[in-house]
Amino acid sequence: MSIRTVVYKDVLDARRSKVVWLVGFHYALLLVLFFAQVHVTGPEHASATIEALWGMAFVGGVFVPAIALVAAYLAIAGERESGSIRYLLSTPVTRREVVLGKYVSRATIVAVSLIVGFAVAAILARLWFGSFDPRVFAGIAALTVLYALAYVAVAIGISAISRSRSRAMLGAFGFYVMTNLMTLNDDVSGIAGIEYVLNDLLEFGVGEGGVQFLGIVTNPTRAYLLSILGVFPSEGTAEMALPDPATLPWYVQPEIAMLVLGVWLVVPVVVGRRVFDRADIT
Amino acid sequence: MGAIRTTGLTKRYDGVLAVDGLDLRVERGEVFGFLGPNGAGKSTVINLVLDFVRPTAGSATVLGYDSRTETTAIRRNTGIVPEGATLYERLTGREHLAWIARANGVEADVPALLDRVGLTIDDADRRVGGYSKGMGRRLALAMALVGDPELLILDEPSSGLDPAGIREFREIVREEAADGRTVFFSSHVLGQVEAVADRIGILNRGKLVATGTPAELRGSCGITQSIRFEVTTVPTLDALNAVDGVETTSVDDGVSPSDGSIIEVGVTDAAAKIEVATWLAERTRVRDVVSEERSLETLFDAYTSTARSEQSNARTNGQSGKQNGTWANVQQLRDLEEVEA
Repeated sequence: MSIRTVVYKDVLDARRSKVVWLVGFHYALLLVLFFAQVHVTGPEHASATIEALWGMAFVGGVFVPAIALVAAYLAIAGERESGSIRYLLSTPVTRREVVLGKYVSRATIVAVSLIVGFAVAAILARLWFGSFDPRVFAGIAALTVLYALAYVAVAIGISAISRSRSRAMLGAFGFYVMTNLMTLNDDVSGIAGIEYVLNDLLEFGVGEGGVQFLGIVTNPTRAYLLSILGVFPSEGTAEMALPDPATLPWYVQPEIAMLVLGVWLVVPVVVGRRVFDRADIT
Repeated sequence: MGAIRTTGLTKRYDGVLAVDGLDLRVERGEVFGFLGPNGAGKSTVINLVLDFVRPTAGSATVLGYDSRTETTAIRRNTGIVPEGATLYERLTGREHLAWIARANGVEADVPALLDRVGLTIDDADRRVGGYSKGMGRRLALAMALVGDPELLILDEPSSGLDPAGIREFREIVREEAADGRTVFFSSHVLGQVEAVADRIGILNRGKLVATGTPAELRGSCGITQSIRFEVTTVPTLDALNAVDGVETTSVDDGVSPSDGSIIEVGVTDAAAKIEVATWLAERTRVRDVVSEERSLETLFDAYTSTARSEQSNARTNGQSGKQNGTWANVQQLRDLEEVEA
């Protein structure tokens, strides 16, 4: 198992990188601040819990990809630029094992830092919100970790196909802007773009559901937000003015979104591995 | 079955031919010096052999294993010092060695390895980010030695080392070779290559222009190098002319008697220098010795004079000529000190 020696070395190295812990710490801090804000200014207790949970997902929706990308985008490209990758490749490992090992290592680091954040948040939620449902909390936490790992996979894929740090940074930042920041506003989001190209330009007449489906397939953030509806209490969806899954077509259901997130865990790494396997390491 | 074998190995980068149909053969148990100016394609050849870059045409085997398909078997039996690669600055020296040992599935005798390359236990427990360039090269060499590999591939191993470090590196290479290991190393400094190599291959513009033992190469192109001795009196030099490798002798009596005389001896074999020095030291008082290492460019010109343009000549001369000379002189003087002691 050569992947293990890659993971061993990379965890040893990356855990001493301050930037990785810094972003993880900030996510935990953000959760705490958000919970505190709801606790202090929030309405009656039942709503406060719902608001805090949805906020946890929404805060995660914006910040978790940033954490994941920052923690992983240099995993391979950084070593390639400094040349240390040649020491790594001088050991009996294949390039495929290097990519997989880096993925496992960075995914572990990101997952651990998120879980620490959730543990802190869980304690606070227990103290501050009366009707706190641990199953909903755990569901959101698990989906958030899955979501983070999808972005780690993207970052590893980008890192594996990039020759230099700057290219990897451009790729990671570009992906973040396209799939995340732009998703916050529906008018400039990918959804509006997909609809414009398919229906206005090509006149395919794709329905609302089809556009939504393409939206989650091309964007892990959309897939994540939809998948959250699957674990969110149904009284909560109404209260937060979120769409009721029952009104959506079968292929735009939270379960499908979870499946799509699962695909995001694999595809970028497979593509990155293929490209890296054929690259010249100069 | 050779240690390294390439057949028609060719690499083209965006239309530029970096390695051109290379047929290289490195035998087991030999120290092979891979010599060439900067940009000749040495690193590309090593990168091809190690599968860091992929050939445009041709193939290579290392210890009988195919360089493209049997990379892990090659790495298991090969210690590698890549060129210009940085180590992991957040890890300590000890962690580097432990990781390499773990990756190869062997135990590392850390104190012994450190001792071999001239690092202390204290160094090993520091993060590599605080190492000097020379210390980094020493650690890289220690990493290559983990698990006693059958073959060592060292790309410019002595760059960044001071003269003492270069000397220690030569000792290590000699010891490794004495244990029957194959050492393949590249350098752009002729003095370093001829000091340890059993055989030398000269690469120029991606082509192997010559291979042979150091003596063969010098002999075949008849290059002489000169040593100048400042002496108080001039002995009869007839017997010196008979020494193996001595080609010419000449005497310059100097301007005033207090200056002493200059004896200039031209040799074709570096080994003859020490013999000449001892011979003279026994017969007169030697005040000073200056050894003029013929530069790599001279040797290159002998092989490639028709192939190279004036422009590139000028460029390479400016780059490395002075450096070679300085190092060679220091080395020669050290050798002489030993003889006199």
